[in-house]
Amino acid sequence: MAVPILVFSVDKTRGSLLLKIIENGGFKAKLFDNSHELEYAVRRRRPSIIVFDTKHYQSREFKIITSLHSRFHDAEIILFADPAEIPSFTSAGIKKDCCFSDPINPDDVTLKIREIHFIKNKAFLRIKTYFVFLAGLFAGTRDNPYIMFMKKIIMAAAVASAIAAGIAGGFIFYNMSDLPKVQMLESYVPFESSFLYTSDGVELAEFYLERRKFVSFYKIPKHVKDAFIAVEDAHFYEHHGIDFFRTSAAFINNIRAGNAVQGGSTITQQLAKMLFLTPEKSISRKIKEAAISMQIESRYKKDEILAFYLNQAYFGARSYGIEAAAQTYFGKKTEDLSVAEAAMLAALPKAPSVYSPFKDPKKAFTRRNLALKSMLDRGFIDTEVYAASIRKPVPEYIYRRKYAAPYFVEYIRNIMEQKFGDRLYTAGFKIYTTLDLNLQRKAERAVTNGAAALARAGMPGVEAALIAVDLNTGAIRAMAGGTNYHKSQFNRATQAMRQTGSVFKPIVYLTAFKNGYSPDDTIDDMAVSYLSKDGSEKWTPHNYTNKFYGRVTLRTALSRSLNAATVALANSIGMDKVIATARSIGVTSNIYPHLPSAIGVSEMTLIELTYAYTTFANGKRFEPMGYEKITDRYNIHVEDNAPKGVQAIDPANVSKMRDVLSAVVTEGTSIAAKSLNRPVFGKTGTTDSYKDAWFIGFDDNLTVGVWVGRDENRPIGEGMSGSHAALPIWINFMKEE
Amino acid sequence: MSDKNEDAKAAAANQKGVIQTDRPKEIEHFGGPIGLDIGTTNIVSARARGASIQITKQLNAFFTVPASKITGMTLLKNDVLYFSQNGSYYIIGNAADTFANTFNTDTRRPVESGLLSAKEDEALNVIQSIIKTLVPPPKNQGELVCYSIPGEPIDTKISVLHHDTILKRTLQDMGYTAIAINEGFAVIMSELAEESYTGIGISMGGGMCNVCFSYLSVPVFSYSIQKGGDYVDTMVGAAVGESATRIKLIKEKELNLLKEPKNKIETSLSIYYEDLLESLILSIQRVITTSESVPRLSKPISVVLSGGTAMPAGVREKFEKLLKANRLPLQFSSVRMAEDPLNTTAKGALQLAIAEEK
Repeated sequence: MAVPILVFSVDKTRGSLLLKIIENGGFKAKLFDNSHELEYAVRRRRPSIIVFDTKHYQSREFKIITSLHSRFHDAEIILFADPAEIPSFTSAGIKKDCCFSDPINPDDVTLKIREIHFIKNKAFLRIKTYFVFLAGLFAGTRDNPYIMFMKKIIMAAAVASAIAAGIAGGFIFYNMSDLPKVQMLESYVPFESSFLYTSDGVELAEFYLERRKFVSFYKIPKHVKDAFIAVEDAHFYEHHGIDFFRTSAAFINNIRAGNAVQGGSTITQQLAKMLFLTPEKSISRKIKEAAISMQIESRYKKDEILAFYLNQAYFGARSYGIEAAAQTYFGKKTEDLSVAEAAMLAALPKAPSVYSPFKDPKKAFTRRNLALKSMLDRGFIDTEVYAASIRKPVPEYIYRRKYAAPYFVEYIRNIMEQKFGDRLYTAGFKIYTTLDLNLQRKAERAVTNGAAALARAGMPGVEAALIAVDLNTGAIRAMAGGTNYHKSQFNRATQAMRQTGSVFKPIVYLTAFKNGYSPDDTIDDMAVSYLSKDGSEKWTPHNYTNKFYGRVTLRTALSRSLNAATVALANSIGMDKVIATARSIGVTSNIYPHLPSAIGVSEMTLIELTYAYTTFANGKRFEPMGYEKITDRYNIHVEDNAPKGVQAIDPANVSKMRDVLSAVVTEGTSIAAKSLNRPVFGKTGTTDSYKDAWFIGFDDNLTVGVWVGRDENRPIGEGMSGSHAALPIWINFMKEE
Repeated sequence: MSDKNEDAKAAAANQKGVIQTDRPKEIEHFGGPIGLDIGTTNIVSARARGASIQITKQLNAFFTVPASKITGMTLLKNDVLYFSQNGSYYIIGNAADTFANTFNTDTRRPVESGLLSAKEDEALNVIQSIIKTLVPPPKNQGELVCYSIPGEPIDTKISVLHHDTILKRTLQDMGYTAIAINEGFAVIMSELAEESYTGIGISMGGGMCNVCFSYLSVPVFSYSIQKGGDYVDTMVGAAVGESATRIKLIKEKELNLLKEPKNKIETSLSIYYEDLLESLILSIQRVITTSESVPRLSKPISVVLSGGTAMPAGVREKFEKLLKANRLPLQFSSVRMAEDPLNTTAKGALQLAIAEEK
């Protein structure tokens, strides 16, 4: 026995008993009944085990025990003591499981000695130990030297396994407890872009958070599906959510490589992660992922799962789903993708930014060709197709469609955002606008050409805006908010608050007609000074020509745009009535309640004045109308926006307005419009120092408003009145109608 | 042997106070360790003789007769062991009983209640003389003799030290190395070898009962109670108006505690036996529960009864029944009688002597 065991007890009987117990366990030990002999013995040979019985030991300080413990760290001290004394020994470093109390339990003593021997003597390394153990088991020997210890080891292992299994089970159960319900997939609604269409169904724009357009499984070509299966999950149609072989192989490869070089997730697992889980890397997430994957597999067909995946995966460049990706990378629909293009897209979801052809074409090319090789290896394509495909270049830039009518699109987007909030970008609405694409193009051309003409005439940097409204429905048919949307997104048709000049004057005349005047009634056009309300200021309106024309008809006063006569008229009927008239025909901007407002010093937008003129045209007031209907992603109507005209001017006064506005064209400031050779009506406007030039008019179909000016509110140029700067644009647009 | 020589021997014996007779021839030829049971009633020696054990015993009693030349001659002629002291012949051993019966009286004992009797002035001489009849001088100095001593009595304040020391010196003076063995432990040594000398051995003698609990041959506790066969005899005798000697005779020859008592003596014997056994078990209970050394055993242990007092039929069964009725912190597998109850202690002492010699 290589482990020296010393037994100490001053009680002869107990000492002998302990000695016998130890000897009976197959060990040799020596008994001491006085501490001097014990000291002598430990000095001669380092002890491995000291069995110390404190019974009847006179010195209750037990310094010998602490001394032995501190000197022989390797030695185990097995102690017999009163239960009350044991804490003091354990606090001094004696192991708690080596402290025993009366009565002496021979089994405990033997077991403890064997345990220590088993470890100290490295008995566990000897095959003999296990043979003895097995022999004892077969023979049914109860006092086999190792059997008790091995039982303890086995019990401990069993308990540890049970605890580990319990913890693992608990952990899995805990993770399962908040598992999302896979049934949610049945009501799966991915983020989908909303689309804007013209009145005749041409796609105008796409609003999205994640650029995604859902594509049905049957519309995805086989070679596209094959590409993804080859790259992401070769055994997709064979496994039940988890590919254990692939997971194990990935695990081993990752260990060899020292980091995660290979993913072991199946397409189903990736779908589970995308739909229900966060991207964190944790055991908890992996367990949930596996559980959800199996649930998905048990509930859905493989083709359904693949369709979910292809519509959900992220391909980079804000493109979600295969349809959006096909559009972004190739400007195509999924159904039109070639094999090489499908392989390129299949190569992306693993790391969209790393393999993006726009960032690193070489890496993307290599990765794409690897995907093609996988397709070839799995028999999805033949060598001919492979050879042809690997030579195809990868895309070089993001395919962006340039949408027409950007100002109008933005105008509608603002309205829709107020209506739907963020759902506009995720809910997949289809918004059918009132825009007429032909008219829009004409509008944009007219505006651009108009500004260009001014630039050629030495007035660069002049902006212009045009809005065309269907006067029978109030629908916006064209809108050009500026000359170049990409240069400036400020929409001068809807957002610019400008002084209106003479285009406001018809409202004064309408007020007069409503108050019993007729176009043939006369008013004085003469120099009259008006005092401000407090009498501190005096204002004398002058005409554009700096002449006064004496007694003139209302028709003449308007057609010549006489300021003095118009102010006199406004003065006679009262500005409050003028303002009330303006409100009744849809003007919403603030109007100063002073006479200068009669000749257009208050600021308004082009759109509100154009709608006001629409009311002049047929007596009905319309709210601006940019869309006709909205449907959801399933083409179910969300909103029908029917024209809602309100009679605001009685027909007699409409006739009077048409009379006077016609005169503007036939005999007044807008005579150039006669070149259109059809009855048109309208009014020019010019503000001080030629800062703003307006023309708003209508024919039988459209009310068209044009504004010309500079964003910084400087003069356009000398003599650039409404008839010189704005009317030509208006005429150009109307010509082309 | 001539008369002259015998006279000379007797004279020498008178002077030295030693045995006046020849010992059995065979004893002289034995060698090796000796086990010696010095009981209240008998002294028994045990020696190994080949595979068997040779038992020799003498009654541990004496009888005095007035010393006279004719008496001395008669005793010598009849091989009666005696010695002369203070004008009396002390007839010792088995012969003492014969003389006592002849004179219709009781023998006297050098040992009372297990210990050297304080009442008898010549107790020491008597016991030494009897021992010498059983233990021959050693062939070699320091041969082992293991002698039994009682456990410390728990019901009186008497110590066994005096008794033990006297015996030890007697044997050492004879040239032996003397080692003492507790009577109860001797029973264990004799009967529980197959159980690794673990169990309880009880020697129920005339003067006392000795109890020992041993674990793996370590006597964890041993003690005696000063109640034994003599107590039963005396108490029954007093109760029924008979001599203790007669009661003893009835007890040894007729008593069966398993049967219904036939008369008042048997009834009284039954009562006092029960009292003795209850005292014994209560003492075991008391000692076990107060001992600081009794280990916690996972297996039940055996109890072995020995000694003349344990021999009447039904004693074992009564004991077992009472043991089961009392709650003890140990579990018992069986209560059994020793194979040879009258010689168990001597055999056990011999076992120890042999073990020590090895």
